[in-house]
Amino acid sequence: MSAAALATDSVAQSSGREPESYAVVTRGLTKRFGKRLAVDHLDLLIPARSITGFVGPNGAGKTTTIRMLLGLIRPTEGTGTVLGHPLGRARTYLSRVGALIEGPTFYPALSGRENLMVLARLGGLSKKRVDTVLQRVGLAARGSDPFRTYSLGMRQRLGIAAALLPAPDLLVLDEPTNGLDPHGIAEIRSMLRSFADDGMTVFVSSHLLAEIQQICEHLVVIEAGRLLFQGGVDDLLAARAPELIVRTENPADARRLLVLVKATGLSAAVVGERESTTLEISADCSWAADLNRLAMANGIALVHLSERRSTLEEAFFDITRADTGERFPGGPGYLSGRAGSSDRAGRPSGAEVLP
Amino acid sequence: MIWPAFQSEWVKMRRRRLWYGSYGAVTGVVLMTTIVTIAGALHHPGAHGALTLAQLARASGLSQGLTQSGVLLGAVSFAIAASQFGGEFSHGTLRNLLVRQPRRSMLMTGKCLAVLTFLVGAVAVATIFGICAAFLMAHFRDVPTAAWTSGAGMGDLGVLLGDLVISTCGFAIIGMIAGVLFRSSVIAIAAGLAVLLPFETILTDAVPGTGRWLPAQLLEAIAQGGSTTAPFAPALITVSAYLAGAVAVAMLIFARRDVTA
Repeated sequence: MSAAALATDSVAQSSGREPESYAVVTRGLTKRFGKRLAVDHLDLLIPARSITGFVGPNGAGKTTTIRMLLGLIRPTEGTGTVLGHPLGRARTYLSRVGALIEGPTFYPALSGRENLMVLARLGGLSKKRVDTVLQRVGLAARGSDPFRTYSLGMRQRLGIAAALLPAPDLLVLDEPTNGLDPHGIAEIRSMLRSFADDGMTVFVSSHLLAEIQQICEHLVVIEAGRLLFQGGVDDLLAARAPELIVRTENPADARRLLVLVKATGLSAAVVGERESTTLEISADCSWAADLNRLAMANGIALVHLSERRSTLEEAFFDITRADTGERFPGGPGYLSGRAGSSDRAGRPSGAEVLP
Repeated sequence: MIWPAFQSEWVKMRRRRLWYGSYGAVTGVVLMTTIVTIAGALHHPGAHGALTLAQLARASGLSQGLTQSGVLLGAVSFAIAASQFGGEFSHGTLRNLLVRQPRRSMLMTGKCLAVLTFLVGAVAVATIFGICAAFLMAHFRDVPTAAWTSGAGMGDLGVLLGDLVISTCGFAIIGMIAGVLFRSSVIAIAAGLAVLLPFETILTDAVPGTGRWLPAQLLEAIAQGGSTTAPFAPALITVSAYLAGAVAVAMLIFARRDVTA
C-alpha cells in the first residue's frame, strides 16, 4: 500500500468507519496559485454509495478541489485516495469516475450524440453506451441535434450523460443545476436520487442549499479553501436547536408568557415589532404540551403553536459566521458526524472533534 | 492508448463544415497558385526569373504551380491545427477529454496524428484538383503536356507531393504547439501567423542569411524541394531538430500544466 493510501486510511479510520466505505479520502489537500491559497489542508471523507453535497461561497475552492480529485490540477501538498487509488495516479481510477466540471462544455457544431462519441471513443467505450446514457437522461430524441441548439437544461443533461458514459462508481457533478428553472432542477434531483439508488457515489457541488438539503445525506462545507463542516446533513441541522413559534391573543400576554418561559430555564424572545404577539422559544415539539399547559394555567390563550426546524441555509450561515468569529461546534476541526441527535451543547452525538 | 485518442479526434473532424472549410481552403490555395503560375508564364524568358511556357512543357512543368503553394498551404495548415488544439482550451472541452484520457502525452499524440492525417488528405485532394487545373490551363496556354505524364513527370510530381506533405505537417505541428502554448485558437493563429509570415519575411530581407534558420523559411524551402538559401537536406535536418525540441517542450508543458480552463 502506498504512503498516500496509508495516510488517508488513518484519516478514514479516525472517523470510525472502514476506509473502503469512503469513495474519496484526502489528507491535508492544498492548492496554491502563486500567493493565493485556493484550498487549505482539506481533509475530505466522502462516504461511498451516498449523495454528498459540497457547498461553499463563490471562490471557496470547490471547483479547484474537484479538479484536483480528477487529476486536472496538481495539489501543492497533501495526499488522498479516490476509489482506493492514490490521488496522484488519476489514470488508475478515472475509468470509474464520471464528472461534470463547471458546467457542460461541448463542441457547438457537433450533435449531442457526436459529442458523446468523442468521449466514448477516447475512453474505449461503445456506441451502444452512448445511446444508453442519452436514453437515461431523456435526450435520445434530440441526440442528433447540434449542441448549440440545446436549451440550458438539455446541455446540463448532456453533461450528466457524458459523466455517466463509463458507468461510474463515483459521479462528480459541479453545479449541475446552474441556471436551470424549477422544473429542470427537479429533474436533476430525481436523476441524482436514481444514481444513488443504483449504488453510485454522487459528489455534487451546488449553491442551492435547499436542493442540497433535499437530496444529500452528507455534506461538506468549505470556505476560503478550508473545511468548515463535514458530516450528515441531519447532524448539521440537529446542531441548531429547533424552535417553538407561539402567538398569543395580545402583546401583553406575549410578554407575560416570555417571563414564564424564561423562568423554566429556556431561552425565548418576543420577535417582530414592539406590539408583537409572537414568541420564539428554543425547544423542540416535545415541550409543546408543557408550554400549552403553562399558558393555560396562567390564563394565556395561544392562537398559534408550531415547531420550526432550521434550514440548511440557516445552518450554513451559522457555520460561515462562526468561521469569521464565533466558533461553531461543528466548525473547523469537526471531522465527521454520525446520525444521531445533538447534545445539550448543540454538538451532534457521535461527532468527532479533532484535537 | 494513442489509437482511442486518434479515433476520438476523427469523430470531431468528420463534421461536414470542417471538411468543406479546410479542404476547400487548401484546394483553393493550390488551384490559385497553379492557375496564376501557368497563366503568368511568359512566351520568352523575362526578368525576375519568371517561368516560360517552354519550362512549363518540361516533365517538371506539372508540379510548378504546386511548388508555389507551399507557404500558403502551410499557413492554412497552421491555422487548422492551431484551432483544433487551442479550441480545446478556449471551449473548455479539454477537461472532458482529460477525464476520459488522463495520459496527456497519449492524448496529444493521438490528436496530433489525427490532425496530420486530415491535412495530408487535404493536400492529396488539393493536388488532384491542382493537376486537373494545370492540364486545363495548359490547354488554354497551348503548353504541350506529353512530358508531364512521362515517368520523369510522375516522379517529379511524387517527390513534390512528398515535399509538400512534409512542409504542411511541419506547419501543422507548429500550429499545434502554438495552440497548446497559447491555450486559445485566436491568439495562437494571430501570433503564429504574424511571426511565421510577415515577421520572418521582413527579418530574412533585413538580415541576409537568416532564411537558413527561420522555421517558416525552411518549411517553404522544403515545399519547393530546397532553395539556394536553404538546400533541402540541411533545411529538413534543421527544421526536424526545431520541431523535435518544440514538441518535447510542448508535451512537457501540456503534461504538467494545471487545467483550469
